[in-house]
Amino acid sequence: MAVYKRTYRAYTGPLTSPAWRFLVLQRYALRAVFRSRFLLIGYIACFWLPVFAVCALYLNQNAGILAQVNQKPGFMTVDGRFFLLFLQIQGGLAGLLTAFVGPSLIAPDLTNGALSVYLSRPISRTEYILGKGMVVGGLIASITLIPALLLFAIQSSLAGYTWFSSNLFLVNGIVWSSLLLMAYLILLGLAMSAWVRWRIIAGALILAVFAAGKGFGAVVNAAMRTQTGDYLDVQHLLSAFAGSLLHHVADGEHVSASAAFVVLVVFCAMLLGLINRKLRVCEAAG
Amino acid sequence: MTAPVIELENLRVPIGKREILHGLNLELTSSTVGLLGPNGAGKSTLINTLLGFWRPSSGAARVFGHDVRTEARQVRALIGYMPENDSFIANMPAITYVRMAAELSGLPPEAALERAHEALFYVGLGEARYRKLGAYSLGMRQMAKLAQAIVHGPKLVILDEPTNGLDPQARLRMIRLILEMKALGAMSILICSHLLRDIEETCEEAVILKAGEIVHHADLEEERASNRRFVEIETEGDDGSFADAVERLGCACAVTAPGKIKTVLTEGIEIRDLYRLAADRDVQLRRLNYRRDSLEDIFLKAMEK
Repeated sequence: MAVYKRTYRAYTGPLTSPAWRFLVLQRYALRAVFRSRFLLIGYIACFWLPVFAVCALYLNQNAGILAQVNQKPGFMTVDGRFFLLFLQIQGGLAGLLTAFVGPSLIAPDLTNGALSVYLSRPISRTEYILGKGMVVGGLIASITLIPALLLFAIQSSLAGYTWFSSNLFLVNGIVWSSLLLMAYLILLGLAMSAWVRWRIIAGALILAVFAAGKGFGAVVNAAMRTQTGDYLDVQHLLSAFAGSLLHHVADGEHVSASAAFVVLVVFCAMLLGLINRKLRVCEAAG
Repeated sequence: MTAPVIELENLRVPIGKREILHGLNLELTSSTVGLLGPNGAGKSTLINTLLGFWRPSSGAARVFGHDVRTEARQVRALIGYMPENDSFIANMPAITYVRMAAELSGLPPEAALERAHEALFYVGLGEARYRKLGAYSLGMRQMAKLAQAIVHGPKLVILDEPTNGLDPQARLRMIRLILEMKALGAMSILICSHLLRDIEETCEEAVILKAGEIVHHADLEEERASNRRFVEIETEGDDGSFADAVERLGCACAVTAPGKIKTVLTEGIEIRDLYRLAADRDVQLRRLNYRRDSLEDIFLKAMEK
């Protein structure tokens, strides 16, 4: 490569499309995230369940192999419950992944004031959040939404058109519940990264907010003798929403899909407000 | 007709409920402009407004004819900004940082990498470009900030306190680079600094802000030219007849104290004419110097307003 030593020339070449420029942030952030081998191993480990599930779906329809172990095809029912369980386990792993990845997204830019350098370029605050959020979003989608849809496609191809047509509603449930989980975790990760500079504390807070809501909700329920505490338990809300869309509502479930959706959207809006507030201050402060 | 580099029209900018900039009117056309003012004068607010970080409540600010309120993206594409404070990612090598900055400005990845190498060589960090920014000295970080500001070939570079915290050698290197960039003529430069000497050495125009208002707008080139005609003389001998003779040459002249004369040389009159007059009248010229109305004088006068 020719390097111009000690001279300067203006750039006159072509420019990339402004619409996709936020992907630059995502690319660089993703590269930084995967510099950690620990995270890479953890991420690969998140695929054990999808691989196991593919094998189970295959065996479930393979009469030859099942005959050898005295089992009949269809030993496992693939329905809303199957996908709900899959999304619940993968959702928990997504929470862990967010706790590792989230804190390294915005905090390094704020620690040494790099934000003003980003935002003085033709890129908006929204695009900055989008670019950084896509790092977490992409990782979560790769262990929840995409494998769940792949499982649905595999099961459809193995079980045939009748199963596909009668279970098409599952796609709706998988997509919407995964998107809601992604939106919540992305915003939670970014908000903690923006407000808490110490990675370990930010990671712990992400886990605490995501997981400890159950305990907090239970305390509220016990103290106030109501069930309103369930609305503070994010995992419960996500399960209620997904369960309703996947046609597998748990016994005694009193949180409706629409109520869960509204509460989660409110949480997301609050997190977005927190991120925006922090970035707004740092943007102008330089 | 080319648009002015920066144009402000009754620009008012509030932060919260407090108005920081009070109706600024200005048109800057020079290639190097200095922005001066005490702390809290509104310099940073003006820069942040030009970058689109703060929205004006009324009036307009334009950069190369683009309104900062309605065409913020286009304005930012034309600007390279070197912030005053630290602005780097500690565990990122300089080459990656500058390349990313170029890509964010729209350069394709290959071109961005090439330009990042060039920019880092240009600011003198060629040999250290693969080192992490967190391991850089303060002077090197300033240079890295300059590299990211110019990597995409902006039309206007905003340098906020570019020599802040630099040792004399590093300061000289920075000033030399700014002068080189000015001489190349590829970009306009707006320098915001507390160091009047930096502005004096590098700029053609200076704008002095005080309490959110422009209190002085000086064409430094013109000031320098006029200063060359203002002469202070100390004499020994008959200063009265000498002063009369100088006046007869057409130059305004005043005897401020015995043996002390101030005069403004008119067009066509040179210093050697004064020596000739003194010799004719047997007057000794003990001291003769141009009264240098430095930027510091201009600044202090502006602060008294």
